[in-house]
Amino acid sequence: MYKTDIRGKLIDGDKSLTQISQDILAPIDAKTPTWWYIAMAVSLMMFAWGARSIYVTLTVGIGSWGQNNTVAWGWEIINFVWWIGIGHAGTAFSIFLLILRQKWRSSINRAAEAMTVAAVICAALFPLIHMGRSWLFFWVFPYPNTRGPLWVNFNSPLFWDFVAVSTYLLISASFWYFGMVPDFATIRDTTKSKIKRAVYGFFAFGWTGSSKEWLRYEGLAFVLGGIAAVLVVSVHSIVSTDFAAGIEPGWHSTIFPPFFVVGAIFSGFAMVLTLVTLMKKLYKMDDFITANHVDAVCRILVFISLIMGTAYITEIFIAWYSGSEYEVFTFFRNRITGEYAYQFWFMFIFNALLPQLFWSKKVRHNIWIVFAISICINIGMWLERYIIIVTSLTKDFLPANWAEYHPTMVEIGFYVGTIGMFSAAVLLFFKYIPQIAIHEVKMISKYNTQQFDHLKPGHHDYE
Amino acid sequence: MNEKYLVGVFDDEHTLVDAFEKAIEKGVVIEEVYTPYPIHEILQGMKTRTHITHAAFFYGLLGVILLHGGMYYAAVLSWPMQFGGKPSNTFPSFIVVAIVGTILTITLLTLLTFSVRSKIYPGRKAKIIDIRATDDKFIILLNQDNMGIEKDAIIKLFRSNGASEVYEKDANTTDKQLSNEL
Repeated sequence: MYKTDIRGKLIDGDKSLTQISQDILAPIDAKTPTWWYIAMAVSLMMFAWGARSIYVTLTVGIGSWGQNNTVAWGWEIINFVWWIGIGHAGTAFSIFLLILRQKWRSSINRAAEAMTVAAVICAALFPLIHMGRSWLFFWVFPYPNTRGPLWVNFNSPLFWDFVAVSTYLLISASFWYFGMVPDFATIRDTTKSKIKRAVYGFFAFGWTGSSKEWLRYEGLAFVLGGIAAVLVVSVHSIVSTDFAAGIEPGWHSTIFPPFFVVGAIFSGFAMVLTLVTLMKKLYKMDDFITANHVDAVCRILVFISLIMGTAYITEIFIAWYSGSEYEVFTFFRNRITGEYAYQFWFMFIFNALLPQLFWSKKVRHNIWIVFAISICINIGMWLERYIIIVTSLTKDFLPANWAEYHPTMVEIGFYVGTIGMFSAAVLLFFKYIPQIAIHEVKMISKYNTQQFDHLKPGHHDYE
Repeated sequence: MNEKYLVGVFDDEHTLVDAFEKAIEKGVVIEEVYTPYPIHEILQGMKTRTHITHAAFFYGLLGVILLHGGMYYAAVLSWPMQFGGKPSNTFPSFIVVAIVGTILTITLLTLLTFSVRSKIYPGRKAKIIDIRATDDKFIILLNQDNMGIEKDAIIKLFRSNGASEVYEKDANTTDKQLSNEL
């Protein structure tokens, strides 16, 4: 049972159930603020640049990118791994915090899950376009065909990736959607606008809140939650095998799966932090996303940051300890020193050192510093993927093959385009979808009331 | 069929649970309870049970068998390929696709089961008893043809246990105005 007197209130403001609905639904009914239109315009311009870059790639070919025979993977796989990593937070929030009975998750999980869906779509674009002839992408499906019949290679991490990412997208989207169904019903039943009643009524799938619905709903959440926990761990482990199964120095390492999973959750939580600070400031959701929520996310980040630091140092140590001259060269001459040293040290500072500031309560409670650090972590995690991919590929075993890699404007545009797509999706989410899970917040709001103390023992501890 | 309902409206979870438990004790037959969020005393007290979790387990078994069977068929029977003398049946590496594919099978089939059993699907029109049940009211619904005990006794029971409203309504009306406050 949650002990309010020890751990503080989960939501502030002593709200009634109606007030909770009204406060969370306020942005949907309110007049759209000017900043929203400006932000949307900027996002769409970025997206347009991205769309143009994709057009150029499809019509000209992969030659419009900076890749060469040596560095055959560049920004695209960096951005793919970065977005997939960010996409891990939604499920991590919903599932791991559910399993750990962290009731404060209720105020944040909706935003985290929305972000997940958008991020995974952004991620999926990169391998899709990198295929070159993207219109033949369906060849990756294992189905009897007239090309042999030649089946896909079930031993290839790239095929595993395809299976994992598409499954992850489907599951996180359905988990997110079914979490919203009761809230759509709330909008349908409380709104005064006929259009909204019809639209949200359609998306509410006929939800009434009967005990039979809730019973099966809880069963469904239990099943989806349980299996999605396995999925989160397996998806990024699979992404890491794209590298770990190769023989490139710096990739061929058993630390990769846990290192990638933790890194993904790290970047995802950082992005959640970015998003909730925005929700707090722009939509005045302070009563629901309290200082305690931000505090809790920061404390998780300190912990994960320590794991990241340990992983970086372990990699360097093992490179030396292995005695392999290629590993030693990659880590000592091409990462911590050499032409990529800036990127390496920025990565190390942003991911392993800067979040250590969260040990201080003052820092955790200063929303601007928290916001700045969350952005730094996002950059740091991008640099991590850059370091892993580019340093290992540019200088591998044979010096005659060494080559440099610089992204072209097309690649940069593609990446900027996905950022625009992501932010446009987030803005639409802010505007049209309840940002916080209303029914879940209602469920935890009772922990704030006096009446709860009089209840019989052995009651009411669920989730 | 035009059924008549008796509706008890409660303002919070605690009065609802108290009234619900007392009603069950007295032998009242409760048709349905509508709440803004799941309440476990109600879910347990309603005696309906769900086997969706067991179903999910069997969907998982089905997924494992189908996926391993499918990959074995593709890689060994249908089109065996030579990778430098390695066996066609590369079983342990099938596990990766099998795990993720099983998760996908479980999800799709469980969602379908949920949708069919709870009748929650796109385009379904909600049969709303009291429109406030998704916002802040907790509703107990009784079917007047089968309530277990006398109507007056139930109204008294609801009232004495903190019901904010008790009213009658026809099954076919959706507006609260057409119902009679008792």
